[in-house]
Amino acid sequence: MRSQVRAQVPVRLSHVTLVYDGGVRALDNVSLEVARGERVCVLGANGSGKSTLASVICGLLAPDEGEVELVGERVCADGTPDLVAYRRARRSLGLVFQNPDDQIVTSVVEDDVAFGPENLGLPREEIATRVTRELHRVAMDDYAKADPSRLSGGQRQRVTIAGALAMEPQVLVLDEPGSLLDVRGRAAILRVMGRLAAAGTTLVHVTHFMEEALEASRVIVMDRGRVVLEGTPDEVFSHGDLLLGLGLEVPFAARLSRRLGLPWTCDEQTLVNELSEIRGAGPFASSAPPSETSEPAPPASPLLQVEHVSFAYDRGGRALDDVSFKVEAGTSTAIIGQTGSGKSTLLRLICGLEAPDEGRILVNGNDTFSRRGRRAARRAVGYVMQHPERQLFAETVEKDVAFGPRNLRLPAEEVERRVSRALEIVGLSDRRDASPFKLSGGQRRLCALAGILAMAPRILVLDEPTAGLDPRGRAMLRGVLAHLREQGITLVQVTHSMEDAARCDRVIALDQSRLVAMGGPREVFSRANERRLCENGLGIPRSLRVARELERRGWPALGDPLTTDELVTSIEGACAAQDSRAACPPLNQEREPRGA
Amino acid sequence: MALRISVGQYVAARSPIHGLDARVKLVCVLATLVAVFCVSNLAQLALAAAFVLAALLLSRVPADRVLASVRPLMVFLAVLSLFNLFFVRTGDVVATLGPLSVTSGGVLAAALYTARFALALVMGSLIMLTTTPTQLSDAFDRMLSPLSRLGLPGHQIAMVFSLMMRFIPTLADEATAIIDAQSLRGGAFDEGGPVQRVRSVAPVVVALLASGLRHADGLSRALDARCYEGGEGRTHFHEQRLGIRDAIAALATLAFVTALVALA
Repeated sequence: MRSQVRAQVPVRLSHVTLVYDGGVRALDNVSLEVARGERVCVLGANGSGKSTLASVICGLLAPDEGEVELVGERVCADGTPDLVAYRRARRSLGLVFQNPDDQIVTSVVEDDVAFGPENLGLPREEIATRVTRELHRVAMDDYAKADPSRLSGGQRQRVTIAGALAMEPQVLVLDEPGSLLDVRGRAAILRVMGRLAAAGTTLVHVTHFMEEALEASRVIVMDRGRVVLEGTPDEVFSHGDLLLGLGLEVPFAARLSRRLGLPWTCDEQTLVNELSEIRGAGPFASSAPPSETSEPAPPASPLLQVEHVSFAYDRGGRALDDVSFKVEAGTSTAIIGQTGSGKSTLLRLICGLEAPDEGRILVNGNDTFSRRGRRAARRAVGYVMQHPERQLFAETVEKDVAFGPRNLRLPAEEVERRVSRALEIVGLSDRRDASPFKLSGGQRRLCALAGILAMAPRILVLDEPTAGLDPRGRAMLRGVLAHLREQGITLVQVTHSMEDAARCDRVIALDQSRLVAMGGPREVFSRANERRLCENGLGIPRSLRVARELERRGWPALGDPLTTDELVTSIEGACAAQDSRAACPPLNQEREPRGA
Repeated sequence: MALRISVGQYVAARSPIHGLDARVKLVCVLATLVAVFCVSNLAQLALAAAFVLAALLLSRVPADRVLASVRPLMVFLAVLSLFNLFFVRTGDVVATLGPLSVTSGGVLAAALYTARFALALVMGSLIMLTTTPTQLSDAFDRMLSPLSRLGLPGHQIAMVFSLMMRFIPTLADEATAIIDAQSLRGGAFDEGGPVQRVRSVAPVVVALLASGLRHADGLSRALDARCYEGGEGRTHFHEQRLGIRDAIAALATLAFVTALVALA
């Protein structure tokens, strides 16, 4: 086994350009060095070239122009790749990317971790040592003999990380490792990365979650194949407007500190410390918390009734256990819960894909127990599954969207009217002749959504509609959903984002197949429920979290701010109510933006 | 979940069958399969059933898992037995059912053919349930290595097989999701004439194909990243050494086949 000298600068790209077939410049004159032990985070919207950059860094793609030096091997000079050097370099480079399913090659966890070392031709004892060590490192020791397909997405992704680490790479490249995972899975991946960074592993982490970049030693922002910003997280996130323009976001703390006119920070803890100091010595006047927006008055008839529903798949325990709730027409409902809590099953029952074992479901008055009732339910409900873009099939966007209405045997003009309308709602009118496979990730999802809207459903049921999208895609989708709500369409969505849940009229929390909380967001995220939600791994919206933290540190009651706007109002209200002698800085004065 | 495929779902356990060398297991199972398909009288059937049952008990695989992996073909088995029951015309007529009549030969054939097919299925699923895809592909790899020496891709065939086993459940899940989604959009897959039917599955097939390509893309990226370069220079995590156990298994299989031939 050749042991390679650990390079001081394991990644060195200079003036690298890479053009895909069709003339797309995925990388445009990129120069970049990553030193040993660094934790570099690459940010960028879809199509910014960040995934291509990841492939170049881990030696899977050779650029057309420029020079690449990886782990001390000069693999590409003047756009001419040295394939032998590439093969040598790849042995010391590790990659983990979005979909764990594509990266797991066997059906036993430890065999999969062993796959890389086997390919390296290591002796058996060495492989065994590494498998044990790396599974321990990602806290998967107990699952060595497990079947990956029975693990959660987060656990699977940890197996792939162990598989990459077992090859003892000098650089580990993680290309959006958390984008297909739920909140808990993503948090676990971040913890593993933190441990790796502490142990001195060189990490290159590509992501479109801004908060994940805060721990990095350096952040690189890509746009249209170029590096547009580079620096520490603090430096990069101070360019808020520029980031927004690139289709990215700034972390919550950065937004909040700016809104409040406080010294700029993107660290939530610093911000909370700052705010607790501001409070000063003076007692607050007992200010009434900002007026709460009242719950919308419940309309007359529920469109959807779920009554004492239980359901179990063939094998295994109950997926749903005695769940009851109602959804009024024209409202929006969020269903929250961990992976495996029964959320997706509940949606399948609502859409009439399954019939309940016990209890009943009425959709628009139709009992889904009978076949006829299920058929009627399917007409009333539009079901947007997870990753609905995987169902696209037609040559053009227009034909795909028309698939549903055509199946209904509607007259041609009606089909045309519905297609145009659906495309208009999702904002894809100008792409109707494009191939759905040529659209961006966010657009593909909107196209799939249009296909369901064209069925003219009364209730739209969505399973994690924003999962896997970049900030721009998420914003587009939220916009469309808000618009649909204004039009009176009833929305029921499963979400992992407590912020999204807080924007709905009602929130339903499931845990281990049971309904554990239900009501308006203020009720569900109330103090009484807070601990239970956090114990269930769900948490509360971050504005509320900051407010509670401030209250713990001596601020007066801040009400229940569910959004950043409400939090800002609460804090300003509390400050205004405080006596003028208090050391409260002028909070409402907008700070001048830094840099650009 | 219409397409829950559980073929090839390994059940982890410590048992004499799990512990066998995969090559020996493969050869023994193949020999048993051939023998079982040659069963033509009840004595042989009893012996074969005893042998398969013994293997099953030794493997410590829960019965419901065996059943689950055989279930998809049960319908086929039932149809097969009905055919035998009604269309075999040897022996005496036992019963008449309108235009159909059942003969004693038909009853025997129905029982025999169905039973031996079921035994073969159980035996076949047993190897999948007790052998990891890695062990299987390693075994294939070794057994096909003479092919490699002739310049044929023996190792690659084994690898493709192993990946196939790994991706069947994933693709089945996706197919289910796509079928559900398209039928919710009014797609009907069981109506109309043949042309219409072919046309109606296009929305599913095209989407599934696209998803298959996406997996293939991801997989090739993963294989490259993990330095998979074919069989050369590759070592194996699991030892493949023939032991006393393997000899016993081979002898037991040999004894079974011999006894079966003797009973013919």
